[in-house]
Amino acid sequence: MSPARDNRPRLVPPELAARLPATRSASLTAVAIGALIAVSIVVQAVALATAIDRSLLHHAALGMLRPELIAVALAVAARAVLTLLGEVWARRSAEAVVTALRGQLLRQVLALGPGWLAGERPGELSLTATRGLRSLHAYFARYVPQAAMAAVVPIVLLAWVATQDWLSLVVVLVLVLAVPVTMIHFGREATRRTQRQWRRLGSLAGRFLQLIEGLPTLRAFGRDGYGRREVIESTDGVRVATMRTLRVAFLSALSMDLIAGFGVGLVAMALGLRLLWGQLSLQTALAVLLVAPEIFVPLRRAGAEFHASTEGQAAARRVLEVLDTEPTVVPAPSPRLAGPRPRQPVDLRIEGLRVAYDDRAGAAVDGFGFHAPPGWRVALVGPSGSGKSSVLAALLGFVPLAAGTMSIDGMSASACAPDEWRAHFSWVPQRPYLFTTTLAQNLRLGAPEAADDALEEVIAAVGLGPLVRHLPGGLETPLGQDGLTLSAGERHRVALARALLCPAPIVLLDEPTASLDPPSVTQMAEAIVPWLAGRTVVLAAHQPLLLPHFDAVLDVATSAPLPLTAGIS
Amino acid sequence: MRPLRRVLAEAGTPYGRLALAGLLGLASAAATIGLLAGSGYVVGRAASRPGLGALAGLLAAIEVLAFLRGPLRYAERLVGHDAALRALARWRVWLYDCLSPRVPAALSGWRSGDLLTRAIDDVDTLQDLYLRTLLPAGIALGAAALGLVVVGLILPVSALALGVPLALACTVPPLVVWRRSGSDEAAGIGGALAAQVVDAIHGAPDLLAFGAHTAMLEQLETMAARAAALDRREARAQAVATLLTQLCLGAALVGVSAVGIAAVHAHHLDPVMVAVLPLAALATFEPVAGVTLAAARFRAVGAAARRLLALEAVPIPVRDGDDPTRLAAGAPEIRFADASLRYAATLPRALDGVTLVVAPGDRVAVTGSSGAGKSSLVNALLRFWPLEGGSLSLGGIAADDLAQADVRATCALVDQRAQLFAGTIRSNVTLGRPAATDDEIAIALEAAQLRQWVATLPAGLDTPVGEDGVAVSGGERRRLAVARALLAGGPVLVLDEPTSGLDAPLADQLITDVLAAAKDRSVLLITHRAGEAARCDTTVTLEAGRVVP
Repeated sequence: MSPARDNRPRLVPPELAARLPATRSASLTAVAIGALIAVSIVVQAVALATAIDRSLLHHAALGMLRPELIAVALAVAARAVLTLLGEVWARRSAEAVVTALRGQLLRQVLALGPGWLAGERPGELSLTATRGLRSLHAYFARYVPQAAMAAVVPIVLLAWVATQDWLSLVVVLVLVLAVPVTMIHFGREATRRTQRQWRRLGSLAGRFLQLIEGLPTLRAFGRDGYGRREVIESTDGVRVATMRTLRVAFLSALSMDLIAGFGVGLVAMALGLRLLWGQLSLQTALAVLLVAPEIFVPLRRAGAEFHASTEGQAAARRVLEVLDTEPTVVPAPSPRLAGPRPRQPVDLRIEGLRVAYDDRAGAAVDGFGFHAPPGWRVALVGPSGSGKSSVLAALLGFVPLAAGTMSIDGMSASACAPDEWRAHFSWVPQRPYLFTTTLAQNLRLGAPEAADDALEEVIAAVGLGPLVRHLPGGLETPLGQDGLTLSAGERHRVALARALLCPAPIVLLDEPTASLDPPSVTQMAEAIVPWLAGRTVVLAAHQPLLLPHFDAVLDVATSAPLPLTAGIS
Repeated sequence: MRPLRRVLAEAGTPYGRLALAGLLGLASAAATIGLLAGSGYVVGRAASRPGLGALAGLLAAIEVLAFLRGPLRYAERLVGHDAALRALARWRVWLYDCLSPRVPAALSGWRSGDLLTRAIDDVDTLQDLYLRTLLPAGIALGAAALGLVVVGLILPVSALALGVPLALACTVPPLVVWRRSGSDEAAGIGGALAAQVVDAIHGAPDLLAFGAHTAMLEQLETMAARAAALDRREARAQAVATLLTQLCLGAALVGVSAVGIAAVHAHHLDPVMVAVLPLAALATFEPVAGVTLAAARFRAVGAAARRLLALEAVPIPVRDGDDPTRLAAGAPEIRFADASLRYAATLPRALDGVTLVVAPGDRVAVTGSSGAGKSSLVNALLRFWPLEGGSLSLGGIAADDLAQADVRATCALVDQRAQLFAGTIRSNVTLGRPAATDDEIAIALEAAQLRQWVATLPAGLDTPVGEDGVAVSGGERRRLAVARALLAGGPVLVLDEPTSGLDAPLADQLITDVLAAAKDRSVLLITHRAGEAARCDTTVTLEAGRVVP
């Protein structure tokens, strides 16, 4: 198959149809409805033409033409109902496709895990899952039914015209064939122009947002007037650039309007001449005249929705790409259902751990191991990039092990399902993500059943007591987006509170104090110790800080124990 | 209707271009009516075989109409978009003017970027008031009137046969759609769903580590089901509207044909006209669907207009007095005496009896957790928000008696975000003093420890920053903000969390450099890091708007 053929707009991309059978039935339904609508158009035209013919030539009484007029009414009603069914069906299948794909995509992202996600751009991915899928909705709700109509209605109507009058057929056929030619020509030109303007438009639009966001700064420097002038200048730029693009972009609509216009005008001329020459009956001529404009309507509509098709298909392709990715951390052969979270102190053992990434030469961690009896506190130290985070990622099952074993109470990681294994861990990531829910819901991430009292205690322990006390909604204050914006240090404290609240027997701390200053760390250390009683702690940091003492301090590069100078107290 | 009238008024005098676009659209619709009705006439007349000469002129006229309709439509689109974009420019300036005297304090609920983005989206939505509301509806109604006149002139009673279904098609389907379209609930759930999708992707590691992914997916599915139900409801309304429009068209078609046939039978009408009437009716109905589309969009446009007007209704917090006193040159003594401040009657005091003095040349640090009142202190000092009680004076003059511009020229701010603007390094650094010479700029850059960095840039000071320009790291951005404040020349330096988001070693270095560069300026340093505060002469700790003794 040639690439040109490959780029042709298709009703439904074959790979999507293969994954979601609903899309195939949706397009088949659209085609069937289109064929029935075409039939109703012909019936309506023939019945109306017959009535007019009888009246015009024979001055027939209204009563004699009642059957024809009833046929017209029925045909119109049938067409209206078919259109309604088509619209509802298309919207429903669009919604079904989008919901299914969204669910599959998110499940796949979670199955592929953070190891895979680290190599992707999460921003682009979430844009695909939101805006991309929205345009896919438009694709199935609007473009697919219109494209199906455009594919089937003109063919049925042309076939009928062919049985009526060859001259009209020739005229309409020439015009219909001109449609793709002009659309492609103008479409390409418009795309070229648009792409050239796009960058400029994007940066001009961004400038406005920036000026609005920067208004406090402008005011502080007494430059409100400067910003105002910039707003005027940038929007004027947007207008000029947009109009330049639109002048070309609207050309394809213009060509469509011209073709449709001549579709009526030239057909009327052809019919008029054939009538003058006595080669055609009035009834036939009128019926053809009524049908002719209907041939171009679906073509014009499909053309108008064309941009939705490219955007939606691009989104679909990206989603399928993600869905077809094989997970790198292969789950255990017989995953058992994860039971309730274990709470008893556990014995953690790592031996000969080796972690390697595809995109980096050498191993991030090689031959690392330690043994932590229940309740031990282990600090992994070393400079940035020495593999501390990789050890924690391996423990959480986020990256595959190139070699080595990990076990908890003698149970090997490779022998249990990822969820079951992870249930033993609580974690403070280096860059914690807080969800756009309330503060309380964020804290309960790993402890859904935690009582309000526990929440308040843990918030106090990490030093967020004063902040929360003065929030209007307290712990129920929503975070992010329209809610509370926290500083980096406060985010880390929330993440620490979240980890402490989660009752898992092993707590992994990845640079928990990076954004805090030493006095705050000392203050916090004492308060959090009770929360760690009996739990194994693995801290990854430049220095063994945060806790008053450690049972082992290890250099990640060598697995060598370092002297227990430990902590600040 | 009032918000929309107001919004139209803010667009200046757009009626000329808008009317021109409407007339072009109407002319295009008229060409369509002429084309179809004329075609019916030609075919009907040709049936009696009058000879080519009798029809030649008419045939030529039809081809002219067939040609004209496209270019007229094209011109309408261009003029309409041009009018909308011109109005958009006015609306954007309006939004800017609305926000300008109210930021940052009066819109503190708006501080997160998202709400600003929404306001900007709202302004963009207003374009649809022209393009997808007023124009299509106006053209459809104009075409309807024109079609009625045409058929009425041919056979008066046919105007009734066309007019009744036409009137129904212009009212009932739009109402059906309007009642169901763009409800707040649908918009809300759409936004919440998108936010949760973003959460699930960005927070995937956290979800997995805490075993919360299953619950998240379940929650998402519930929400998606609700969104789907709302979508189906809207889809049904739209489909019903289409159905009703088509049924009206059918009624009009059968109606005008029936009255035409009856009139011909009674010899009241030229028989050829029985072919003209239904085609004229078909052409008249063509733009009618525009009214329904306009109705669907109307609600969203109205909601956007209301939100923007609500923004304008927020009172302006601080206005200059009639005859402001001038500040003397040099660093004034800044004195907060028992100052209290409140953003709304329903909120607790953000500052509650704060007494704080910054003597000329003094370096004072203010610490406290988020929400303790640190930023409110800056808002009060820079006259972004008035005090509720107590007093603020600069150099012994009550702040209320000073011009805002005067106060801000005295107090140079290094803001928390270190906001840069599109433009060059030079235009950003000289924001506070556009006329600065190269020497002055060099001194400021030197003090902010940026001179070497600027020297490495391809075009030095004239290197563009931002999207199309050089990448500026977080540390460099903050140093640029410092250089900007130093160059502005105010004898008081106000540093609002100048190191937020920087790692500890970088932050430390920055504070050292800033304090060295401040020389004999007074310094007010707002910070949540105790270590930074210790570098100043005095530290004041705030908690819940009060000074902790």
